[in-house]
Amino acid sequence: MKSPFDRAVAVLSSLGLSCVLLMLLALLTWLGTLEQQHEGLFEVQRKYFESLFLIHYAGDVPIPLPGAALVMGVLFVNLIVGGMVRMRKGAATLGVLITHVGIALLIVAGLIKMRWSDDGHVTLYEGEASNTFQSYHHWEVAVVEKLDGQRVRESVVPEESFAWARSDEPARVTSPNWPFALELRHFQPNSRVFPKGPMVQSALPVLNGFVLMPEEVQPENEANLAGLYATVIEPAGARREVLLWGATSAPHTFEIDGRTFGIELRREQFVMPFTVRLIDFEKEDHPRMAMAKAFSSDVTVIEDGASRNVRIEMNEPLRSHGLVLYQASWGPSNARPGDPLFSTLAVVRNPADQHPLIACVVIAIGMLLHFGRKLVRHIRVEAKNA
Amino acid sequence: MRHLLRTVAVVIVAWLASAPLWAQTSAQRTSPWPKQVLEAAERTPIQEGGRVKPLSTYAGFLMLRLNGKRSLATPEGEKLSPTAWMLDALFFPQQAAQYECFMVQDIQVIEAIGLKLEGKRKRDRYSFAELEPGFSKLFSLAQQYRHIEEKQRTPLQQQLVALAMNVDEYDSLARHADFARASLPVGASESLARIFDGRQSVSISDVAANAAKLASLDVQLAGGSASPEDRQAAAAFFHALDDALSDATTLALCPPKRAAPADSAWLSPAEAVASSFRSRDSTQEHIELLAALERAARSTGDMSAFTEAFERFSAKSIAMANARGEFEKVDLEVSYYRSDLLGKSLVFFLLGFVLAAAMWLAPRVKLLYAGAGIAALVGLGCLIGAIVVRCMIRDRPPVSTLYETILFVAATGVLAALVMEWINRQRLALSAAIVLGALGLFLSGRYEELDKRDTMPQLVAVLDTNFWLATHVTAITIGYSAGLLAALLANANLIAGFFTGRATKLAPMRKTIARMTYGALCFGLIFSVVGTILGGIWANESWGRFWGWDPKENGALLICLAQLVILHARQGGYLRDFGIAMATAFQGTVIAFSWFGVNLLGVGLHSYGFTSGIHTALWSYYLAQWGLIAAAGAHYLWATREVREPARSTAPEQSLPTP
Repeated sequence: MKSPFDRAVAVLSSLGLSCVLLMLLALLTWLGTLEQQHEGLFEVQRKYFESLFLIHYAGDVPIPLPGAALVMGVLFVNLIVGGMVRMRKGAATLGVLITHVGIALLIVAGLIKMRWSDDGHVTLYEGEASNTFQSYHHWEVAVVEKLDGQRVRESVVPEESFAWARSDEPARVTSPNWPFALELRHFQPNSRVFPKGPMVQSALPVLNGFVLMPEEVQPENEANLAGLYATVIEPAGARREVLLWGATSAPHTFEIDGRTFGIELRREQFVMPFTVRLIDFEKEDHPRMAMAKAFSSDVTVIEDGASRNVRIEMNEPLRSHGLVLYQASWGPSNARPGDPLFSTLAVVRNPADQHPLIACVVIAIGMLLHFGRKLVRHIRVEAKNA
Repeated sequence: MRHLLRTVAVVIVAWLASAPLWAQTSAQRTSPWPKQVLEAAERTPIQEGGRVKPLSTYAGFLMLRLNGKRSLATPEGEKLSPTAWMLDALFFPQQAAQYECFMVQDIQVIEAIGLKLEGKRKRDRYSFAELEPGFSKLFSLAQQYRHIEEKQRTPLQQQLVALAMNVDEYDSLARHADFARASLPVGASESLARIFDGRQSVSISDVAANAAKLASLDVQLAGGSASPEDRQAAAAFFHALDDALSDATTLALCPPKRAAPADSAWLSPAEAVASSFRSRDSTQEHIELLAALERAARSTGDMSAFTEAFERFSAKSIAMANARGEFEKVDLEVSYYRSDLLGKSLVFFLLGFVLAAAMWLAPRVKLLYAGAGIAALVGLGCLIGAIVVRCMIRDRPPVSTLYETILFVAATGVLAALVMEWINRQRLALSAAIVLGALGLFLSGRYEELDKRDTMPQLVAVLDTNFWLATHVTAITIGYSAGLLAALLANANLIAGFFTGRATKLAPMRKTIARMTYGALCFGLIFSVVGTILGGIWANESWGRFWGWDPKENGALLICLAQLVILHARQGGYLRDFGIAMATAFQGTVIAFSWFGVNLLGVGLHSYGFTSGIHTALWSYYLAQWGLIAAAGAHYLWATREVREPARSTAPEQSLPTP
């Protein structure tokens, strides 16, 4: 009589479970692909590929399904238990074992990327420099205090601290750096600010004649402009209401106890260990065509007082300090010859950046070993039969 | 905006309604084009689609777009090649206007533009002259429909827009050589008479040769130092010059003055003249080129004079391209299209098909087996030859466009099948090789006809990397190829299942097919998995992420998953030969979805692979394949019912036959 543990291990390591999970993953991949015709990639990714469970609608019929994150998680366990630990070891299975190690490495790389990577962009006009990059997707509330001279002290509230505060129920935030508490509410992932008038209907509070109007979340997340209402609660209990919107160019400022603070809602920012200055951006078209042949940004990387010139172009990113900078886009798209251009460099911090390459080599070796061995045996049998 | 669009439409109609110079030319070509002229024209370099190519390539794809095929019969019954047709359009435009070179898929299009033409079929070809009375309506309708998104247009609207574009493109071509026929009146302008040594009229090349003086004259006239008559006559001259050059913008026939990397864009005759005005430094070579073309355009009544002038023009143009290092691939491309290796390859595969069919009917005749094998080898040789020449022309690995994937899939599939045949000599893999080769070449031809664009286009920036094209794209395409070969073999197994009982003499053959299917599947899996991961690594290098769930990436993953499911199910004993055949045939539709299907979704980063017009073909394949799988499954259940029923009633512990 097998113990429940043994039975669980037997199920988790079975080829039957592998087949079911692979088929489920294929189904989710297929549905997620078709769904991209109607929804943006970001939404589809969240719903089908980064979820534990989901409801897929076939017309009006709801179909509950496990999400790809759950399927891949179980598949990983199945791979480790069945395809590595419990698999019969020998010359015949060596290739399969190596292949499974490669696939496990690939999944681990995916997990590292999902959990520990940051991505965003830095957009510079020719001559401009920056040592930060900003997220495409996430927001943060930044509170800046002006200190003496040019110095400022910045504290940030990440999106996960207030993203849930969609209603009047506030997310309360305090900091030892602040002589006040902050309440954040009515977070809207996409919104516009309008002066309140008879034609503007919104259930949200009106502040100084302005109101936040929620808008439909756009499939391309970059197009969304978040907004929220913040309340600064002073130690004496006085409340200061502020409307924060993602497209505002300057922070809202206020004074408490003679100290000056600024508060703003902005895309999440990350500091780079070096500064990048855009020297020149070039876009070359194929002759007599409006099709780009190449894009490139000549930049100077300034670090610890030293600088070096680097060219970033399609398929040739800049790798430095665990960050990778890619040529992503440029603009303005309606620029005339001679107009100043900006270049957008995508920035990724991914500790598993090179793992897929190693995994690819390991998998290729494993499969060549396994199937090569089988082919040789088959040819020998055929030769004998002949 | 609407007002602007209406204005644009009116301008186009007015432009088409204006009598071009070619309408005043009455010369008729009475004998076939001399061989020397055709050869010179084919080799003449032109820059189009971002690259320098032979005029014959441009003519071939233009004719394919307009006419639906690469040959045309004149009303007199003469069969014209694309180059001969283009020469007629340029130098005998009135005659060419009578050629029925506009394919119209539905006569409703003709009725919609207000024409009633007798004796035409539902799908027929029309000449420029036949369509001309309907141009006003055609362009007005096309202007309306162009603003409807392509997917939302009705077939009639789509065809009207396409016809308007074709007519516009043809008319630009027919007007192109007007500049070479033009005589500009010097008139009563004393200033002009001084520049042109007292001649009454001059040609465009004369203008280019005196561009510096004419530019100075323009300044003097603007300064007001000339008499009113002089100014008036000069204004008339410059107006006539503008008119003559207004249509000479279609063909970029003139290599630029500066060396290739500094100045990559070739010039049309109008741009060459404009450039001589701008720099006030006419290029002697451009002047000679234009003068040679003028001599040809004015010698249409004397074919030997025309031949001499045209050969001079072509030789000059070749010499200029050569000096820039841009001609070396042109002759190779001319040879590629002349040799028609793909056509020859298809012929050999079809011959092989006939021999293979006979081989199965008379299995003891070894000559038929040898003949089918040789036909397949020669067919494959031609196909590989064509791919190699394309690589040489483009300086690229074998696959960089969707069209080339078809050729490569066919070539690698045939090669893999022939290797299988060499290993087991059962005739099955040879037959599969021949079917795959013929199907691949047929599909590539159909794709070219549907797409109607140069199959050697320039690539978008992200694809401009031979390393990743050679590794990821090649690997993934070999994966397609092996997977499709496995699906083809699986189909053979399923079809054979209809004709055999469980223990007939064909059972060993089905066993062999199953083994080959498994082999092809394993081979395919290696390349699909490695190719997919390499694609991720490339995406990481270009876009900063290994995997983005983009439709094309998902398609590649689906192939890997489908093949992995089959192999794991086989390993676990959940599927046996017949079940594997069903699943592998289904896997073929997964490959088709990944290869072409995701491109029809119209979303994703891989926009360079989008294509249209393959919807019907793709769905026909899906339905035929799924229908065969369902029928084979039903037949299997029916054929094994006797085994299963007693198993249920009398021996519950006995295992059921695994499909």
